[in-house]
Amino acid sequence: MAIYKSAIEKPVTTALIFVAVIVIGIFSFLRLPIDQFPEMDPPYITVMTTYPGASASEMETNVTKIMENALTSVDHLKHITSQSKDNISVVTLELEWGSNMDEAVNDVRSFVDMAANNLPDNCSKPVIFKLSTSSMPICQYSITADETYAGLDKILNDEVVPQLNHIDGIGNISLSGSPDRYVYVNIDQQKLDAYGLSLEQVGQVVTANNLNLSSGTVKMQQEQYQMQVRSEYLESSEIENLMVSMTPQGQQVFIRDIATVKDTIKDLSLDEKTNGREAVRLIIAKQTGANTVQVCRDVRKELALIQQQLPTDVKIEKIYDSSENIQNSINSLEESVLYALLFVVLVVLFFLGKWRATIIIGITIPIALIVAFIYLGVADSSINIISLCSLTIAIGMVVDDAIVVLENITRHVERGEDPHEASIYATNEVWVSVIATTLVLVAVFVPLTMLSGMAGIMFHELGWIVTVVCCTSTLVAISLTPMLCSKLLKAKKVHVDENGNLVEDDKDKKNFYERTVVRMLDKIDEAYAKSLGWCLSHKAITLIVLLGLFVASLTPVFMGKIGTDFMQQQDNGRLSVTVKLQRGTRIEETLKTARRLEARFVELVPEIQLINTSAGSNDDATIAALFSSTMNNKISMTIRLPKKWERERDIWTIAEILRQEMATYPEINEYQCNVSSGGPGGGGNTVDLEIYGYDFDKTSQLAEQCRQLISALPGARDVNISREDDRPDIKITVDKEKASRLGLSSATISTYLRNRVAGMACGYLKDDGSEYDIVVRLEEEDRNSISDVMDLSIPTATGKTVKLSEVATVGEYWAPPTIERKARQRIVTIKATPYNTTLGELAQAIQTEVVPQLDLPVGYSTHIGGNYETQQDTFSDMILLAALIILLVYIVMASQFESLMKPAIIMFTVPFALSGVIIALWLTGRSLDMIGALGLVLLVGIVVKNGIVLVDYINLMRERGYELNEAIQLSGRSRIRPVLMTAFTTVLGMVPMAVSSGEGAEMWQPLGIVVIGGLTVSTFLTLYIVPVLYGVMSKRGERDKQKKLREKFIFMNIRLKDKDNHE
Amino acid sequence: MKSVFIVFNQASTERVEYMLDMLGIKGFTFFEQVQGRGTNGGEPRRGTHTWPEMNSAVITIVDDDKVSELLDSVRKLDMRNKEVGVRAFTWNVEQTV
Repeated sequence: MAIYKSAIEKPVTTALIFVAVIVIGIFSFLRLPIDQFPEMDPPYITVMTTYPGASASEMETNVTKIMENALTSVDHLKHITSQSKDNISVVTLELEWGSNMDEAVNDVRSFVDMAANNLPDNCSKPVIFKLSTSSMPICQYSITADETYAGLDKILNDEVVPQLNHIDGIGNISLSGSPDRYVYVNIDQQKLDAYGLSLEQVGQVVTANNLNLSSGTVKMQQEQYQMQVRSEYLESSEIENLMVSMTPQGQQVFIRDIATVKDTIKDLSLDEKTNGREAVRLIIAKQTGANTVQVCRDVRKELALIQQQLPTDVKIEKIYDSSENIQNSINSLEESVLYALLFVVLVVLFFLGKWRATIIIGITIPIALIVAFIYLGVADSSINIISLCSLTIAIGMVVDDAIVVLENITRHVERGEDPHEASIYATNEVWVSVIATTLVLVAVFVPLTMLSGMAGIMFHELGWIVTVVCCTSTLVAISLTPMLCSKLLKAKKVHVDENGNLVEDDKDKKNFYERTVVRMLDKIDEAYAKSLGWCLSHKAITLIVLLGLFVASLTPVFMGKIGTDFMQQQDNGRLSVTVKLQRGTRIEETLKTARRLEARFVELVPEIQLINTSAGSNDDATIAALFSSTMNNKISMTIRLPKKWERERDIWTIAEILRQEMATYPEINEYQCNVSSGGPGGGGNTVDLEIYGYDFDKTSQLAEQCRQLISALPGARDVNISREDDRPDIKITVDKEKASRLGLSSATISTYLRNRVAGMACGYLKDDGSEYDIVVRLEEEDRNSISDVMDLSIPTATGKTVKLSEVATVGEYWAPPTIERKARQRIVTIKATPYNTTLGELAQAIQTEVVPQLDLPVGYSTHIGGNYETQQDTFSDMILLAALIILLVYIVMASQFESLMKPAIIMFTVPFALSGVIIALWLTGRSLDMIGALGLVLLVGIVVKNGIVLVDYINLMRERGYELNEAIQLSGRSRIRPVLMTAFTTVLGMVPMAVSSGEGAEMWQPLGIVVIGGLTVSTFLTLYIVPVLYGVMSKRGERDKQKKLREKFIFMNIRLKDKDNHE
Repeated sequence: MKSVFIVFNQASTERVEYMLDMLGIKGFTFFEQVQGRGTNGGEPRRGTHTWPEMNSAVITIVDDDKVSELLDSVRKLDMRNKEVGVRAFTWNVEQTV
């Protein structure tokens, strides 16, 4: 028994099956986590090798090259880049997005093991490091304090961090810029020399007096005691009173005589300020697989509790919270979905004019959508931007099948049939073609699941969701819809007079709907039929006009009005500013500039809510330090602005203001002002000009030339060269002969130097369960110039001291920069961010205006990379995809019509969708990005549906024996309503998406705009082009058919009589 | 005894069965899903893409006096809606076993 028949015969079972589906769906929905994007592993693997003592170029030849050669054969490798610095080589592999990272890591490990034998002997074992989502911070808080600042580290480590660690799914919590307590013993070099002492002696005294040691057991008559020396420092002041030695005159020398002991916070090397106040940055990451939104919410709650226990001057402020953006995006998309639902239902009500019918159609939407949640639950995915976008796309389409079924049933019922029987037989008439149209959609969306790369990850889910939703809607349309029709639709009322004869209804009695909407629709039908009639009698003119329109619509492209982007930048209310001063600028100077910038920024942009500034570097390398490269001469700021609807200026304008301000500072070498976008894979938006070449000076010079040329381009901002400037170092060359005569070696000299300048670690001061470093070193005045360094006293083997200048030469020198390589060649990259222009246009400008001006020697080459390259890759993927989809759709249609030509007629509507897209983008001033391109691909499937409806009906009319033109006109007239209805449901379903202005809306707006534009234009033109082309193309074919038939039965010798139309 | 052949749109099956029951006609032969084409207008019923609808048919052998009543009901059924369509034809039954 057919599915629709069983469904109608067993209404209870049918209803309950769908109730069960709804229940499971709601259950899945409630358990689905919220996330920004479908789960994706960043496909980066880093191999780090250290080789102590090797310079950057030695590193390059002896380590990096070997590793690179070994690693190029890793599967799915996309790019291989490397950095060789003094002592360290870092090779980074970028694999194809979506590759299996566990496999890849294993692969890399075996290649590294193979290559390890060829590495120099002193090399460390290479470390393989996989970048995972868990190593990226999900939220950052700034903690400021006034009086308690000195003790903040303890408060944070003892109270805040342990409490936060209780949260489920929380990963690494790190603190940046927290004030460490240190005990410094600052020694005066001259006094030390006067007493004939060395710094190491002082250090040994400090270490030796600070210990707890067990010294055996003492047995008494009955008892036994443990004996212990307990002489650890209780207070730092004890150190001052230690005796170091005695002078020959018998005078005691105490530490206080030669040094000052300071119990203080660590010397400034990393400075954190929030709105100009001393601050500590709390950086929180999540565990792999944990839900960002959930973890952030828990962190917020926990911090609110912790705040109450802290001293009153300690303030916790949010720098950023990535869950906020996710939550807002999801909320605004959910809103779009609900509006889309409402609009679609209203369109159905408008066209059908019956509330019962509207309910029957409307009910298919939630069921189909809920099944999508079941899919997401089964696929272990989440409610994210992609899944919600898919639902919005699907909403307009899910009603189509149900409408077809319902219309046919209504037609039968209105003829006076019983709803129960009408439901069975009417469904029987259309169910095959309903499934066939769904096949067209499946042909469009299933190929999406086969895309590779980053687009693949994003669209894989979309493809499946829309497929699942459409198939469900078809299933609903041929089971639940007929069942509901059989129950809900009312048979036409019958009036019988006394004699049992039927009484005709009063036909003039019309309700409000019939008087207004139906009349209007009738008029539209009439007007359309008339205009179609004219077009059919002037086919050539019509086709020429339509062709002209198509060509005209392409002009914005030729005029260069339509730019391309990878992904739209989002206004998330967060800016990150990086400033680079002259190399070697000392941290204190950098800070002065930072304070000035902060003050000016707040003045220029009063909207600013918070500025977090960090400058300098943290010497304890934490994972968080990987993501914020600060050095003495670098300032990095995170600026938080209000949400975009709470301010008037958009973030790009504000960024431009800040850039202009920074451009006026002479001490600033380079600056960048990035709009932090929450896109996948960092979400940057840059064009990278890569220059490959071996010679450093030549490539640096080329890079500088490029930088100037690119900066001169109108739309280029934040132009930066990847290669660091040379760093000024103080180089000490030991005279080995002299040194060895004094019993010294380079190794001992370097240790002594370190002790004097960086400090000698001399145990810990224990206080309240925590340990604080005690560092013995020279006073600052004795070590802050080159002559001071030359003057350092070094103890010799005989116990005397020599000055450093006696055994070594001290000179300034420029350390070579990090050597960067990509694809096993040396590279320097110039990055530029577009402003008021698109990525595509900027790349084009660089390609045509900058590159030809470069005088590239043989062996040097350039390449445009960055997001532009990804965009190009994605677009070419999309074009391939579009071709595949067109082919599949053609196959499905051809088999449906059993004709090769008719699908071709329908395919002519696709170019007009393109015109619509171009016009829509041009009017809204948008560029075509990855999401827009996706919309374009989807349009192929959506617009042909209109054509199918028309051609199918014309075919039917032809087969029923109507004359060609008559058949076409008749079909047009009868099909314009369904065509308009399906087009309106899809278009209005997309409207909330296109006009939404919530956070993150920039990302999906293009999809809405593209589909609306394309579908609107193509729908109206389809109504003319398809019938006219049908008229042009099928004349001959049909006549031939008749002739053939006659030839086949020629033996019957039946003479042609006056044949009427009905055979 | 006359044979009455009623051919009708399958959507009217319930109505025809009701009619036969009410008229006390017990015996009949039911042909489900038959194709047909009318001589005087009306849509063909061929179960194809072009003409998707189908007919069903009933042959019932009834006493002569019941025929007019039956045909009367058929006419009323037809009047309900011409498009749905029902036709009845009668002829004599020569012999039965």
